[in-house]
Amino acid sequence: MAREKIYLEEVFPSPFMQHWLIFRKTPVAMIGFACFIFLTILAVFTPVLAPYSPIDGNINMLLLPPAWHDDGNVSFLLGTDELGRDMLSRLMYGSSLTFGLSFVIVIVSLVIGVVIGSLSALTTGIKSSFLNHFLDVILSIPSLLLAIIIVAIIGPSVSNTVGAIILVLIPQFVHVTRYAVKEEFRKDYVLASKLDGASSFRILYYSIFPNIVDRIMSQATLAQSAAILDIATLGFLGLGAQIPLPEWGAILANGLDLFYIAPWTVYLPGLSILFAVVSTNLVGEGIRHALKLRKES
Amino acid sequence: MVILMMKLKLMKFKPFISSIIISFLLISCSDNKLSLSERSIIYCSEASPETFNPQLITSGTTIDATSNQIYNRLITYQGEDNKIVPALAKSWHVTRDGKMVTFYLRKNIAFHQTSYFTPTRTLNADDILFSFNRILDKSHPFHSISGGNYPFFQGIKFNSLVEYIEKINDYTVRFKLRHSDNSFLANLATDFSVILSAEYAGQLANKNTHHEIDILPIGTGPFKFKEYRVGSLIRYYRHDNYWQNKANIEQLVFDITPSNTSRLTKLLAKECDVISYPVAHEKITERSDLKLDSVTSLNVSYFGFNTNKEPFNNKLVRKAISFAINKQALIETVYHGEAEIAHSILPESSWAHNEKILPQEFNLKKAKQLLDEAGYTDGFTTDIWAVPIQRAYNPNAVTMAKLIQADLKKIGITVNIISYEWNTFLHRLTQGEHQTFLLGWSADHPDPDNFFTPMLSCSATNTSSNRTFWCNDKYDQLLQRALQTSNINLRKKYYTQALEILRNELPLLPIAHSKRFQARNKNVVGPILAAFGGINFYPVSKVNISYDNTIKSNNTKKMSVQ
Amino acid sequence: MLIFTLRRLSLFTFTMLLLTILSFSLSFLFPGDSVINLSGEVNATAAQLVELNLEYKTDQNIVIQYFSYLSHVLTGDLGLSMASQSLITHEIAILLPATVELSLVALLIAMFFGIPLGFFAAIRHNKRSDNIILSVAMIGYSIPVFWLGLLAILLFSINLGWLPSAGKISLLFEIESITGIQFFDILLSDSPYKWQAFRDASAHILLPACVVAIAPATIFIRLSRTSMIEVLQTNYIKAAKAKGLSFKQIIIRHAIRNSLIKIIRHVGLQFANLVTIAMVTEVIFSWPGIGRWLIESISQRDYTAIQNGLLLLSCFIFIVHILIDFIYAALNPLARDN
Repeated sequence: MAREKIYLEEVFPSPFMQHWLIFRKTPVAMIGFACFIFLTILAVFTPVLAPYSPIDGNINMLLLPPAWHDDGNVSFLLGTDELGRDMLSRLMYGSSLTFGLSFVIVIVSLVIGVVIGSLSALTTGIKSSFLNHFLDVILSIPSLLLAIIIVAIIGPSVSNTVGAIILVLIPQFVHVTRYAVKEEFRKDYVLASKLDGASSFRILYYSIFPNIVDRIMSQATLAQSAAILDIATLGFLGLGAQIPLPEWGAILANGLDLFYIAPWTVYLPGLSILFAVVSTNLVGEGIRHALKLRKES
Repeated sequence: MVILMMKLKLMKFKPFISSIIISFLLISCSDNKLSLSERSIIYCSEASPETFNPQLITSGTTIDATSNQIYNRLITYQGEDNKIVPALAKSWHVTRDGKMVTFYLRKNIAFHQTSYFTPTRTLNADDILFSFNRILDKSHPFHSISGGNYPFFQGIKFNSLVEYIEKINDYTVRFKLRHSDNSFLANLATDFSVILSAEYAGQLANKNTHHEIDILPIGTGPFKFKEYRVGSLIRYYRHDNYWQNKANIEQLVFDITPSNTSRLTKLLAKECDVISYPVAHEKITERSDLKLDSVTSLNVSYFGFNTNKEPFNNKLVRKAISFAINKQALIETVYHGEAEIAHSILPESSWAHNEKILPQEFNLKKAKQLLDEAGYTDGFTTDIWAVPIQRAYNPNAVTMAKLIQADLKKIGITVNIISYEWNTFLHRLTQGEHQTFLLGWSADHPDPDNFFTPMLSCSATNTSSNRTFWCNDKYDQLLQRALQTSNINLRKKYYTQALEILRNELPLLPIAHSKRFQARNKNVVGPILAAFGGINFYPVSKVNISYDNTIKSNNTKKMSVQ
Repeated sequence: MLIFTLRRLSLFTFTMLLLTILSFSLSFLFPGDSVINLSGEVNATAAQLVELNLEYKTDQNIVIQYFSYLSHVLTGDLGLSMASQSLITHEIAILLPATVELSLVALLIAMFFGIPLGFFAAIRHNKRSDNIILSVAMIGYSIPVFWLGLLAILLFSINLGWLPSAGKISLLFEIESITGIQFFDILLSDSPYKWQAFRDASAHILLPACVVAIAPATIFIRLSRTSMIEVLQTNYIKAAKAKGLSFKQIIIRHAIRNSLIKIIRHVGLQFANLVTIAMVTEVIFSWPGIGRWLIESISQRDYTAIQNGLLLLSCFIFIVHILIDFIYAALNPLARDN
């Protein structure tokens, strides 16, 4: 008879797995995570899933209230706007703009920021203090203001908004990475690797990164919720997505004119933005909670 | 322990609670302010005025803001049948040949006294001469300041009509015309023919600050100018020495609010007493403390072509596009059904309207055919300039532009929609930067000439009110003939022929005639809107509507409309 | 202290330099003639144009042009706004205090509500009320501020009719602008409607300030909660408990004061964040501040206003930052070796 195991193996999960196990046990965080995944799927698969086009309207179905109203129509679940465009489809396409773009923004600024941050953590002297000063200046200006400034210079459009927010979020990642790497450098295991003869790069890649991944991820969720709000705010102010792109903030601004005739064109995009930001923040909270618990244990 | 906790909680919230109480006290004790607001009216308007002198412009916004408020004219319209009645002139006389018109002025008409001007005399013939010679005489010291353009007067060829104006005595003025003209009196009764103060002009000339005559205005009207903050507000005080009974309201404020939703919000939140061009009429009619006013207005909204630019210099292209636009859909979407499809530029209520002229047909096939004929089978790209704010003739030009964009796509034409802030928009249209545009016209007086001449005559191309830059001599001739005869049937014949030329040439496509709406708080009584011309706050007063719905009038003096 | 001051001053000059260089280069990056972008004289005749070019020394190399621009800025000549053709310095002199007023009132509201709530949550750490407060706080900083503003207007101005929805004060009151801060101006004016105007202005500022205050209040809740939790776990608090002080006495005499010190620094840092949120809120409530003006200028492509407005706004925020840093370091010696 074959026996599978006689001795219980001791499994030492990696730091990342440890965090994930704690994360999994927090119900609120998991709900947030589920919503997050839902939004990601929506953002990617909208062209397949959406019932109507977000740009062409149906002239016969103008200003329809959502289906649960008396005058609503089930085939236009969330109503239509003043040009007959289906709100549900517009919001779904909007998820790929507001949410999807925020995702892209975070990944790009994360990569760039972490690279710059870790490289700068290795340097010392004048270069370091210059970078310190520079970062201080940029970090003291709120991200939205900086994004408005950049868009003011290069002109309003969705791609410019994306570029501006990337530029604005990079310093945050640089700061977090620098701080974290510098902190890890003082620890003993790094000293051990150094004594072994490992190059700085090797130390960075194999020893330090696994230990700081979670702090970076926590910063990433903060950055993403900020990015979603910034994209939506710039879209609302008319500095981001231009007509007729269905970005959530732009949809809201458009609905403002119709606020009294068709209030759902204002409520629904606002709710979508709130939903996206809350789920991102829940995931972030879960990560930070896991970080805290692991530190304490 | 629990009690301690609760006490602690309460202690933390004590400052919180007390501050709430204080702020409520502060806000709810606002009854004393009623006295100031009872005597004032805040009107939410849709745009800033371009200037404070109606002679210089044709925009309805500026007329609304200034003409009936600060100024008076020699004669004006009154009553259901729009008769011409005396105003600053107490009577007038026209000679048989129609070439001499004499006005006899009233005495004791006082000009405004403000922080920048104190009049030493009442109105006399010098003021009339100054006001009109400024327009007629190119060498007049005040002719060229503020641009030297008088679009309405240039459009009706005022300069070639009037030979000179003569002062017979201090209270008598005579106009000598080069030929008789049926619309002369009608034009003098419009909102543009305001009377300025010659004494004020003299004072400014001495200080060498001539341009102030149009930005710090002085007139004889029921209200006088106090303050103007660009893009924000206009403040008028009552003119206590008005030659008729003084106005009921002491302070009139124009709160400039371009956003439709903001205007309605301010009305609903009682921050404005009256608002212009309201949207969401149901929201207003369902509230018992608000009232929706409407008037059948003499206006037309149209889709115009810049006939100076390709391909719109080609008649076939213009016709093709006219066939492709679904006007019924526009009426339903943009006007929510509250307008009539235009048969021509003349609304049905005009006596020159001809039943036989039918609206432009909507036919996509014919449109495509004509486009092919013109050589644009593959279509082309063009722009549509859409009015950014609500007008009486068009509640939402940008939405209309989007619908036309969709219509034209079906025949292969790609459209870019362009819009600017209102005054910038008008300025750029004047420069001819556009290819096509959505605009309209609200009549200044009931004579049909007011539709034909300022919009489409040759002289109007120079004065910027004809933005199609279309010029047709035969059309102009017909208009001249119509002005020179007083035989109504003959005039109607000429105008019908003119309409037929327009239908063939299509420099613009008339779309709809719309009602003009306004919304107000029920405690504001008195007529403000008129079928044509600008709004008038003189007959307005505020009453106290008590809770049991008995209306106690604040001031029961009946004001006679001038 | 001296070294700290010197370091801060060097940071200050460095940043000012950077900001002015950025602002100067904008006039070349924007479309159109750079001199017109710098001065805002869109209606300049040919003769005036020549004069302008002389003034801004456009015929010489770029460094000299930069210094001429710098001298214009330092003498207070920021050019004309292309849209309104009025002096930008005049416009900003009225608009900036309005934004500051709104931000300060919002800061006070945020502190007033956020800090006690945070303390309360810390005291009830890990119990139900703590979680409720934390969840409400999370929704508070996730909600987009422009949407919140609209909902607030819908509820408080239209449905309930308690508060006005737009502007700084009812247009009927004519209050002369002396300091720019409305409440001081009202008190300084000699209008017969002084107290009504004061009440009216308070009613007008309440709703926008509350809307602006929500996100910072949630941050204060977290900050004070964290700070209080830390303080409650320290040894001196344990010692006080051991000594036999009642809970109430511990909180009032020791915990609150020590937690507050940690928060005060962050309060100052939040100011920049507040100003940004205020800028967006101004658009919704038609509050006549610099945020609304700047955003309108961007939509209208008023390059001179954008350029110089940005310069002034960034300078202002940075100066406030440095001042707060300075004051905090003067009060708390521990912060100086940063």
